[in-house]
Amino acid sequence: MTATSTGGNVRRLGLRTTITASFALGALLLSVSMALGTYLLARNYLVDQRERTASRQAFTHASSVRDGLLTSGARVSDVLGALSLPSDGTVVVRRDDTWFSSSLDIGEDDIPAELREMAADGSVGLTWQDTEQGPAVVVAVPLPAVGAHFFERVVTTELSRTLDALRIILTVFAVLTAIAGALLGRWAARRVVAPLDRVAGAAARIAAGSLDTRLDRTDDPDLATIVASFNSMVDAVNDRIARDARFAADVSHELRSPLTALVTSVDVLHGRRDELPARSQQALDLIRSDLSRFQRVLEDLLDLGRLEAGAAALVLGVVDARALTAHAMEAAGVSPERLASAEGAEPATVRVDKSVMHRALVNLLENGERHGGGVTGVTVTSSPGAVVLTVDDEGPGVPRSDRTRIFERFVRGGSRGSLPGAGLGLSLVAETVRAHGGTVRCSDGPAGSGSRFTVQLPAADRRPSNRAPTRTGRSA
Amino acid sequence: MTAMTRVLLLEDDDGIRTSLRMALEDEGYQVSDAARAEDALVMVGELAPDLMLVDLMLGGMDGFTFIRRVRPSSAAPIIVVSARDDTEDIVAALEAGADDYVTKPFVVKEVTARLRALLRRGGTTDEASGREDDPGRVVLDATEPSLVLNMNAGTVWRGDEGIHLTVTEYRLLCELASPPGRVRSRSSLLEAVWDRGFFGDERIVDVHIRRLRTKIELDPSDPQVVVTVRGLGYRLDRR
Repeated sequence: MTATSTGGNVRRLGLRTTITASFALGALLLSVSMALGTYLLARNYLVDQRERTASRQAFTHASSVRDGLLTSGARVSDVLGALSLPSDGTVVVRRDDTWFSSSLDIGEDDIPAELREMAADGSVGLTWQDTEQGPAVVVAVPLPAVGAHFFERVVTTELSRTLDALRIILTVFAVLTAIAGALLGRWAARRVVAPLDRVAGAAARIAAGSLDTRLDRTDDPDLATIVASFNSMVDAVNDRIARDARFAADVSHELRSPLTALVTSVDVLHGRRDELPARSQQALDLIRSDLSRFQRVLEDLLDLGRLEAGAAALVLGVVDARALTAHAMEAAGVSPERLASAEGAEPATVRVDKSVMHRALVNLLENGERHGGGVTGVTVTSSPGAVVLTVDDEGPGVPRSDRTRIFERFVRGGSRGSLPGAGLGLSLVAETVRAHGGTVRCSDGPAGSGSRFTVQLPAADRRPSNRAPTRTGRSA
Repeated sequence: MTAMTRVLLLEDDDGIRTSLRMALEDEGYQVSDAARAEDALVMVGELAPDLMLVDLMLGGMDGFTFIRRVRPSSAAPIIVVSARDDTEDIVAALEAGADDYVTKPFVVKEVTARLRALLRRGGTTDEASGREDDPGRVVLDATEPSLVLNMNAGTVWRGDEGIHLTVTEYRLLCELASPPGRVRSRSSLLEAVWDRGFFGDERIVDVHIRRLRTKIELDPSDPQVVVTVRGLGYRLDRR
């Protein structure tokens, strides 16, 4: 992520873009070099051919001119006129420092100096020349027998036209190849990235709580490794979660019997409190209050274990959410006046495990009492399909960043360390509500101060509840 | 209480057994305890306890077997002690013949509340609509052999044969019969017979109704006396 963090101007290309670009560039390089090679080879061959043809033609014409001039009294211009020249060919002859030409447009000056010198030295020469009509081949042939120099110039229009066409064809071919490469690259990128997309999707679903998500098996040997590793990783995580939950459950089960004996014995002592000296009474009260705290935590842990075991361990029944809330308020020591009574309201029935939901609501209310500076208002409203319960407090509120975290186990606000009961309470609320197919969240209090906890539960249908409880565990 | 109420405590955890025994004795009960179901079975015969507190998870013979073995001979209420998360165990124990349950970890107050509720004397209805000649005598089913509830004597007869109901089943029947024909919700029965409030487990009622039907109905699979009113509860129909 270094690229994105150093500033917006250097962005790392995605895998997909990189693969596509590599394919396109590769195809372009390959096709350009192929095209270039093809062009150069073809050009050399064609030029060579043209030069041979031009030379052969020049020799033929030169020997005709020589033969013509050997005939005594023949004039150069007549000999030239007798030649049958192709339209693109022109013959220039120098004899005794006089220049003769088969065309009016071309004369002595049009013959390159080097050729003139070569002819003067008595050797045959060939060179290329740019003319207004296009490139031309000029061939020089000395004719010592008649004391003349023969030059023939052929304009090679058709050769340059051929080469032009070849260039265009090869360029178009190179561009098409590059585009095809890019398309192939994009397809390949998609093929490569598709499994990653599936992995990412599965990971997101797992993070969202569907822990039974797995990747489908595949025959692809390259992907099989990723799929297998991913699935075994999820299994390992699941095992770990299950082990943690089991550990908590095992510990709480082990503690259940000794704690029951302890509580019962202390109750016996408490029944005989008057027989004890004052100091022992004080100690006993201390034990009793800590013991009840201990018991609360243990019961919370046991309930969490039940909730984790899924809805199968819940005893579901249809109850009135207002009555449930009123009982919870009584148990949490919240004044019944705090419950806003809605006159003539719809019945707010929910399908819950009464005792588990009761303990969750008591925890929620006690949280407001202990950490929220006291519960200021409780409402129960029913809307089609849902029953909504709010608990407001006038405490310091919960920072936005902590509003999800407070529902995790053993998390408590920083400055509240000395207050009892924090830790499991809100996580029990969250787990309970989730197991019943509802949601809980924390927001700002209605008056701008304090906080508001909102529990939403699915409304129970009013039909008789003789059906088997539906599974509403976390995987639902 | 004229005579001390005798409670049999079957619990294999020494700590719980000893402390609970002390707590109950302090509450005025006469407690006999046993750590093994085999021993407790013998004690039931000798002591004829008024109530039994039975832990379900025991070494050797378990609590379910103990209840099934003791039920034919004893009508005394049985309260089982179970783990909170073993909801299936609770139903199984009720079906075996238990009357109520408490879950671990419990507090003594909870146990004594259950004890008191089940030990209340049944048949509280003196203004029950009876016959002209005997106000406590209610004919529940006139089909021969007729089913008769005798509230004064605390007995139920099918023809000439006395039906053996447990204390709790009898109290449930009396509750339904006062007066007959009235629909009783599960929660109101829970309140009246088990003294359980808002948080009572309504499965207790269902299991007891089932048990009652097997004893008083001619065809328990097609009940005619104690009928289910869907979504509301139960009703006793006189025929």
